[in-house]
Amino acid sequence: MRHPAQPGSASRRGFLKSLAGAAALSATTLITDAHARINVPHDLEELKDYEEHWGFCDMCYWRCGLKVRSRAGKAFKIDGNPEHPLNRGVVCGKGNSGIQVAFAPNRLKQPQERVGARGENNWRPIPWDEALDKVAHELNKVKEKYGAQALVMIGHGTWEKPYHRLAHAFGTPNTTSPVFGLCCGPRGVSNMLVAGKNLTGNETIDLENCKYFLMMGRNITESLHNGETLGWIDGVANGAKVVYADPRYTITASKADEWLPIRPLTDHAFLLALINVVIKGGLYDRKFVEEYVTGLDELAAKVEKYTPEWQEEITTIPANTVRRIALEMAQKAPAVFVYSPRRLTRSSNDLGTGMSISILNSLFGVWDRKGGIFTPQTIKVPEIDLPEFPHAHVSREEAHGDFDFAHNPFAVNEEGKVQRADGAGVPGRWPLANPQYGLTNEMWRAMAGQDPYPLKALLTAGGNGFTNSTDYDTVRKALMNMDFYVATDVMPNEMNSYADILLPEASYLERYDDLQTGGAREGFIALREPAMQPLHDTKGSWDICKELSKRMGLETYFPHETVADMLDDRLKKAGYSLEELKKTGIIKLAADDKVNFPREFGGKSVFPTPSGKIELIPSQLTALGMEDAIEWEPQPTPNDGEFHFTFGRVGFHTHARTQDNIWLNYFMPENELWLHPIPAEKLGIANGDTVEVRDRKGRGGTIKAKVTHRIRPDTVFTVHGYGHWDMRMTTAAGKGLADSELASDTREKHIGSISMGTSMVTVKKV
Amino acid sequence: MVAKYVMLADTTRCIDCKACEVACRAEWDTPLGHSRDWVKQVEYLNSKGMPEVQLFPGRCQHCDDAPCVEACPSGASWKREDGIVLVDDSTCSGCELCVPACPYDARWLNPVTNTISKCTFCQPRIDQGLQPACVATCVGRALIFGDANDPNSEVSRLLGEKEWQRLITDEVNIGPNHYYFTAGKAIPQEVMPKLHERHLAGKTIENIVNPLGAIGIGGMMAVFLGAGIKKLVDRRKDVSEKEGSHEQH
Repeated sequence: MRHPAQPGSASRRGFLKSLAGAAALSATTLITDAHARINVPHDLEELKDYEEHWGFCDMCYWRCGLKVRSRAGKAFKIDGNPEHPLNRGVVCGKGNSGIQVAFAPNRLKQPQERVGARGENNWRPIPWDEALDKVAHELNKVKEKYGAQALVMIGHGTWEKPYHRLAHAFGTPNTTSPVFGLCCGPRGVSNMLVAGKNLTGNETIDLENCKYFLMMGRNITESLHNGETLGWIDGVANGAKVVYADPRYTITASKADEWLPIRPLTDHAFLLALINVVIKGGLYDRKFVEEYVTGLDELAAKVEKYTPEWQEEITTIPANTVRRIALEMAQKAPAVFVYSPRRLTRSSNDLGTGMSISILNSLFGVWDRKGGIFTPQTIKVPEIDLPEFPHAHVSREEAHGDFDFAHNPFAVNEEGKVQRADGAGVPGRWPLANPQYGLTNEMWRAMAGQDPYPLKALLTAGGNGFTNSTDYDTVRKALMNMDFYVATDVMPNEMNSYADILLPEASYLERYDDLQTGGAREGFIALREPAMQPLHDTKGSWDICKELSKRMGLETYFPHETVADMLDDRLKKAGYSLEELKKTGIIKLAADDKVNFPREFGGKSVFPTPSGKIELIPSQLTALGMEDAIEWEPQPTPNDGEFHFTFGRVGFHTHARTQDNIWLNYFMPENELWLHPIPAEKLGIANGDTVEVRDRKGRGGTIKAKVTHRIRPDTVFTVHGYGHWDMRMTTAAGKGLADSELASDTREKHIGSISMGTSMVTVKKV
Repeated sequence: MVAKYVMLADTTRCIDCKACEVACRAEWDTPLGHSRDWVKQVEYLNSKGMPEVQLFPGRCQHCDDAPCVEACPSGASWKREDGIVLVDDSTCSGCELCVPACPYDARWLNPVTNTISKCTFCQPRIDQGLQPACVATCVGRALIFGDANDPNSEVSRLLGEKEWQRLITDEVNIGPNHYYFTAGKAIPQEVMPKLHERHLAGKTIENIVNPLGAIGIGGMMAVFLGAGIKKLVDRRKDVSEKEGSHEQH
């Protein structure tokens, strides 16, 4: 520890001086000095000077507002920006550890080129110019040979935006982010279908005033987003009741009034029974339903069979508990909320689960009411002026390379426009999937199978397909199928170890990025500016894309010399300037009850569905012939000796991307397998024993057991993101077991998103 | 009136996100393997046979009768008028006698500086009117810091509003200034303070060193072996030479 401003130099000189005269030291001196002990004047530490820089966090995807303290060109402490609506000044353990992203010893520090075979993870440093020339050359080569659509771009980070732009300028429709297909997709789609609003991203819930939270596995204290978590804690402190349904007793469960240890994959059954009771008992908001809702009778008929007794068999939650919860919520409505899990990619019918949640919230009339869902405000900041983006076209008759586009009906549409390879938004494939983000899980399949057409080049901006997807073989095959793979990232990981060229990104403390414009009760524009000099030979993504665009003839899509120029251009279009934003770090539109909660003030709610109303039987689903999505579909259950395999988060890690952070790794170097004492005893497993876990395909590995009552006896759990095997991650590699080796990769049947919760495993002592 | 600083931890709002620990590490550059603050997670079965978890953020409790100050042979450990227990880095010999003296295990030898490190309630920050780093960053706003002698402070208001407990046992009751709210739940034994055997041995030595006690030169010399004491002696001389350059406390 180095204390600032300590006049220690003088005393240290004195200390050295005394060493010379040490021989003179006598017992008498000692006694005299001991007498003087209490009279010694003490040095006090003082704070050294520092500069503050504005930022928003990149440790997870919530993006809290920051003030970063720097000294001598180096950031040393990250504080929250109290003015930022997404975190109100607080920063979590992950956010505080951002310092160790910039200073990580294992960072990617200069451009590198693969040496030896792909995936062997051997590298040689190369200069930026050479690396960028190669990338441009190889990508154009693939375009010439196969067409622009042969490029896949996968982004996972706040810096992915310019890569999407570059890929679209290149002409490929195949850009994807895991946020949809691997995470929040089903809940976003559910809300869109029912209410015409997405309700994901930064949640728009009036948490502080809510009086009843029914948390469907929403582990809000560990899968944590500062502003959301703080709002929820405030809500609980303000007297909200919390009912928490999860097979596992999480920290969130410990804050709840009631824990429902529900059987994995059965939330849908529980919710259907709740809908049944709410409709049958007339517990819904009649006025709201009359004015804003369609399809009540039809839904009532559909849920007739889903009685509380019916669900008890499936979920193990007592029938009377369902009845009681319905009644309790109706009494507190509209200040109630059925809380979806953040990641709703679990079962074969996540759409049914998601819709049931949207339906319940709508029946309780929570939209635009205090304690319910608010209407957010945004400050519109126009994009810069850009030329039209080209879109790859091929004629069905035209021979294209050695591939015949006519062979697959999903490759191109009637006009010859190439369709997304993952099928997101493609009629006949996954029309419900959002093509803006795509289905990353299906994109890996398309790359591995080279279907519906050849995919030959890959550009990744962050992310790690090996740990965020759950099929190692498919991801590896996809990577090996590429003619060329360029990865950009701050840190090494398993996926980017397969790259041909590795481009090192500047960390988020060392760069400008595009503006953050958000929708909260307040509208806002926030700034990320460099808080320190780049430590290594790295570049920010906008600069990398600008340089690549120059070499690929796409420079018109990146017209600004610097990122700061681009920000200023965008801000001026909105009537502000970079100079102005730099003063405060954030520009805000004040929260306005009348805008946020119009129905509290005689205003109207707006639901941009086809009918303009809440659609309990969504017309878009009916049009697709999928109206049965609301119906319960039986889910897999463990055989004798098997367990449901579940995984989840701890508050101090983000997905699989922070385990190598030295400050975070400290808290939990490896993950454990949670196992209930009853099966543990049967299997002869004691706390701390090493056990082997295998799924039905034989995948898995060894891990230490945590024997605990905090989980159902038919379920095991481990923390996500451990078990890294890229030896460049010297802190995290070889520690714990990767849940991606055990979680399932089945499909959600309506959306095409992944289902990660259907895996059954056996456990034995090693 | 002079301030009396206290820390409140509302355990119902703590989520064990480790923000406090990392913020402290970044603020004070503490070496990995050690921390000035912590969160203890205690899980157990309640009387109904259901699992429960309680979370206890902890740090130096800045006790009224701080045994660490008493145990410190060099006088480096001291208590400021406002109640904050501090270690004077330039005087600390790193002898570690104070480490077992603390029944809350809040002290440790910093291997980089070879001096004792502990929570200071972020004295340099609060002296500038800032909140301690852990408080400023706390996601659940579970940590609340302030002056209990100021009737208008948030801590005074909260101390009056809720039932707070302190980590006190029959054996260890030394006036900690860290309060905990558990919504009526009993505090598990795991987080309660414990006397350390090594400290009891250390106390004997302390009595010898104390000039008001019995003087035994042999025992005393044993304690003062090593360079640490020279550092102390010269620090005092040094201070007396440039007297007046710092405030007396």
